[in-house]
Amino acid sequence: MWVPIALGRDVPRGATRAVLLEGEELVVWRGEAGTVQVWEDRCPHRGMRLSFGFVRGDALNCLYHGWEYGAGASCRRIPAHPDLTVPPTIRAKAFAATETGGLILVDRDGTGGPPPLMLAGLPVASLAIAADPETLFQLVPATPRPDPQLVEATLDGVRFHLGWHVPGPGRIMLHALVLDPGAESRALIALHKLRSEAEARRAA
Amino acid sequence: MTAEPAALDQWYVLGAIGDFPQGQSSRRLLGTNLAVTRAGDRFTIESNGPPAAVRTDYGHLWTTLGTPARPVFDLPESRESDRRAVYCGAVTVRASGLRLIENFLDLAHFPYVHTDILGTEARPEVAKYEVEQRRDVDELWATKCEFFQPKAAAASEGGQISRYMYRVVSPFNVMLYKTPPAAPDRWDVIALFVQPVEPDLSIAHPYMLVIDDISTDAELIGFQQMIFLQDKIVLENQRPKLLPLQPGRETPTRADLSSVLYRRWLKEKQLRYGVEERTDLA
Ligand code: FES
Ligand SMILES: [Fe+2]
Repeated sequence: MWVPIALGRDVPRGATRAVLLEGEELVVWRGEAGTVQVWEDRCPHRGMRLSFGFVRGDALNCLYHGWEYGAGASCRRIPAHPDLTVPPTIRAKAFAATETGGLILVDRDGTGGPPPLMLAGLPVASLAIAADPETLFQLVPATPRPDPQLVEATLDGVRFHLGWHVPGPGRIMLHALVLDPGAESRALIALHKLRSEAEARRAA
Repeated sequence: MTAEPAALDQWYVLGAIGDFPQGQSSRRLLGTNLAVTRAGDRFTIESNGPPAAVRTDYGHLWTTLGTPARPVFDLPESRESDRRAVYCGAVTVRASGLRLIENFLDLAHFPYVHTDILGTEARPEVAKYEVEQRRDVDELWATKCEFFQPKAAAASEGGQISRYMYRVVSPFNVMLYKTPPAAPDRWDVIALFVQPVEPDLSIAHPYMLVIDDISTDAELIGFQQMIFLQDKIVLENQRPKLLPLQPGRETPTRADLSSVLYRRWLKEKQLRYGVEERTDLA
């Protein structure tokens, strides 16, 4: 299943980002070539979180011992052994990832089929909300899209694409893109109002 | 988690003597609360049952919750009168104590975690070294370790090839011997005594016995603390937090020989405190 996990603009070239998806730690990163990658946030060597690593060219390097992983997640250099040809079995765990309409999506279990395609929106914010998706979407008049965890919605007169993922129980991370040019400020205000209402409802 | 005999029957550090005020204070070890009472230089340590054994060796307070087969390890360098003993302060680390020891034994991280101090990215190679389990004393020794270091110690003026030895005396206590800038024919001793508080929570007590009459205590402590805080970032972000002993969970290479033998030694001892639960044993 394809799940939106971040806004593309929040992972620029050369950057890594840690994302928690249903309790699982992922690293999202982008090399100089521009393609986004989503891997398990764990180096196979000694378990260091790869989101602490550094991107050089088109490779992600682990912070702990500098092991270098290429775009396909296989390890291609172990600095402690400069002359070693690294066996192809040494690799990080990569998931299918795609980027469309300003969103980064991951298919962790490989059941998502062809990746979704969306019209580009203007990214406004990824917003953490202390509520479960059911509570939140009682407050949002939304039209479902064919893709899971993606809706079109109108809040205070602003049209959105809303993707979301669940970091853990009772929490939702909303990834919001605006479809009306020039409406970013109103969009941000509408989103923060939505968060307050959702969290108030949860407390009640 | 309750500790198993392999973990209980060991000596553990509770802190530097100077950190204990007169009267009562409390500590925690292997998930057990301890009441420490100090009267002058006499200590009593109590948990639920009868008073626990007390030792005051190498400037630190030691105890056990079981019945260790051996006394607290010997540290002969502590009797050499020209060495300075330096306490560097306790550091809490949210990781298994076994991960702390393993990191202390590791050379390959110097260029990346202690960049331009203990290593440089331009010279990351780990030359072959030797590791031996000395069965007569039940210690693990890594010898003939060499590494290029831009600034090996507080008193270093420039880069040098440092020589190292490691001595693991028990699952949670390790010493590192390193050639000092001032006396290439002798060894500085840097000890790491780990107090396992919970399986995934530890207090590190670094302690130095050095040959250095140039640096002030503050310089030595500052250097050691800087290094240790760099390690803490790594240690708290390794996954899993507990040390995996199950084959295939991690990927050792030749540079990890000390880690491989450390883990084998822990398995032999059937140590489980701070170890990730295994699913491959029926
Ligand atoms: S843990 Fe990643 S390189 Fe060692
Ligand atoms: Fe280190």
